[in-house]
Amino acid sequence: MKRILAAALLAATAFGAAAAGPKPFDAQSMAAIRKAEEGRAFIVAFWSVSCEPCRNEMKLLRAAQRSHPALRVHLVAVDPVADAPAIAAFLKRYDPGPAVRWAFADSFAERVRYAVDPAWRGELPRTYLFDRRHIPEVVSGILTQARLEGWIRRR
Amino acid sequence: MRRLAAALALALAAGTAGSHEEHGKGQRMREGADERNASATVDAAGNLWAVVKDAGHIAVHRSADAGRTWSAPKRVTSAPEATDSGGDARPKIAAGPGGEVYVTWTRPLGRPYAGEIRFARSVDGGASFGAPMVVHADRQLITHRFDALAVNAKGQVFVAWIDKRDQEAQRGKGPAYRGAAVYWAVSDDRGASFRGDFKLADYSCECCRIALLPRADGGFDALWRHVFEPNLRDHAMAAMLPEGRAGALSRATFDDWRIDVCPHHGPSLTADASGRRHAVWFSGAAKNPGVFYGRLAENRVEGQRRIGGQTAEHADLAAAGNRLAVAWKEFDGARSRLRALRSDDAGASWQERELAVTSGASGQPAVLVRGGQFLVFWNTRNEPLSVTPLP
Repeated sequence: MKRILAAALLAATAFGAAAAGPKPFDAQSMAAIRKAEEGRAFIVAFWSVSCEPCRNEMKLLRAAQRSHPALRVHLVAVDPVADAPAIAAFLKRYDPGPAVRWAFADSFAERVRYAVDPAWRGELPRTYLFDRRHIPEVVSGILTQARLEGWIRRR
Repeated sequence: MRRLAAALALALAAGTAGSHEEHGKGQRMREGADERNASATVDAAGNLWAVVKDAGHIAVHRSADAGRTWSAPKRVTSAPEATDSGGDARPKIAAGPGGEVYVTWTRPLGRPYAGEIRFARSVDGGASFGAPMVVHADRQLITHRFDALAVNAKGQVFVAWIDKRDQEAQRGKGPAYRGAAVYWAVSDDRGASFRGDFKLADYSCECCRIALLPRADGGFDALWRHVFEPNLRDHAMAAMLPEGRAGALSRATFDDWRIDVCPHHGPSLTADASGRRHAVWFSGAAKNPGVFYGRLAENRVEGQRRIGGQTAEHADLAAAGNRLAVAWKEFDGARSRLRALRSDDAGASWQERELAVTSGASGQPAVLVRGGQFLVFWNTRNEPLSVTPLP
């Protein structure tokens, strides 16, 4: 019985995660992620279902997480949470691995972007590689394997 | 034990209800405040027309008093439908010389990046709209997005868009195709039918709006973000001629932005009384990123100057004789500001001023000309369909 319950609980957790879809990302979320990742290196990658270059980054992040299981990746769709079905379909097709998935939850997108980085003009993909001291390396456009691997070595 | 199981079931049910509610909230957001990207135009009689997303529908408003008051929304679609609305995407509107009102928008299809350009028309001054149709003959489930719409003096309707049929055709055959292509179609019968699809150019950027400027020959000059070899995302210009022929492509801006990215910042284009072309555009080139104004000359830009500060975006411009007006929005950390530049000497000197401020979501501003006066249209969540005269 206990085992069945444990299995049910596990299933419930998995179901809950799937039903919830991407986590809502707003003007406070970047600070919350940095706090949660204190003392650790991590990546925050912004993308959209309408961004063609973004799909290249998915493969790269998947491979990096596979070869570095401790690597923490937050994947933020700038598409609204309402686009969860399209976001899920994209991520199923261009699997980014076990990254934490977010989506924009504030229609005032300028406010969210500004909280991430006032210098970000909205172009995608846009990737922030934070080292252990949380000093970011900012990448506009496709993140190359060489650049990612260089950062992984240094982080 | 049973109680625990019951509690679990309850938790599951609550989880489902919670996520359902969240989805519902999201839908409202998508249909309401989230889709502020609207467009506006002025007809020959001086009426303003705006196209917006209204409760999931494409809808049109008319104003007879320069935007002080607007009619109730007239729905163009018979049922709500998904519309590309993020970044540089928005529905478009244009007026014909015989009281026609034309509307285009992009409907995303069920595959990443896939979409179709939809078109609807009114031939009775906006009283009623016909059923929407797809503009392009190509019906593959691929990218046809970022529609641009314009009507020439003879009433011919031009629609241009970003199209990936050539990229798809080249898939798996040799080197990857750079970006997408620009295609267009023309209607000679007030939008009853279109002839096309005509290719304007290979290798456009994938996700920026296209600017159109009328030519003396009835065609339009198009200005768009291009992908010059190998990945240089500056702008290119070429003519769409009425018979369906494309003019020669020329490079229009020279910022050397080498990147593989979706900027979601397309250009705007206008011409002064002497036919000189003036443009605004965005470049993210690391040495000098920003929004810029400049006059497009042969193989160079004259008088290039930065517009606004670090967060300036989505500039638009228009000309009335030798007077020019540029408008853009800028976020100050709490609010978005609508700012404008005005020149009375065809761009030689400029005065800057602030026109409006909003504390919520907003669409892209548009500069309109009505009876020689500049009006700036800005659809914000808190001040829908706002129109500010530029003194």
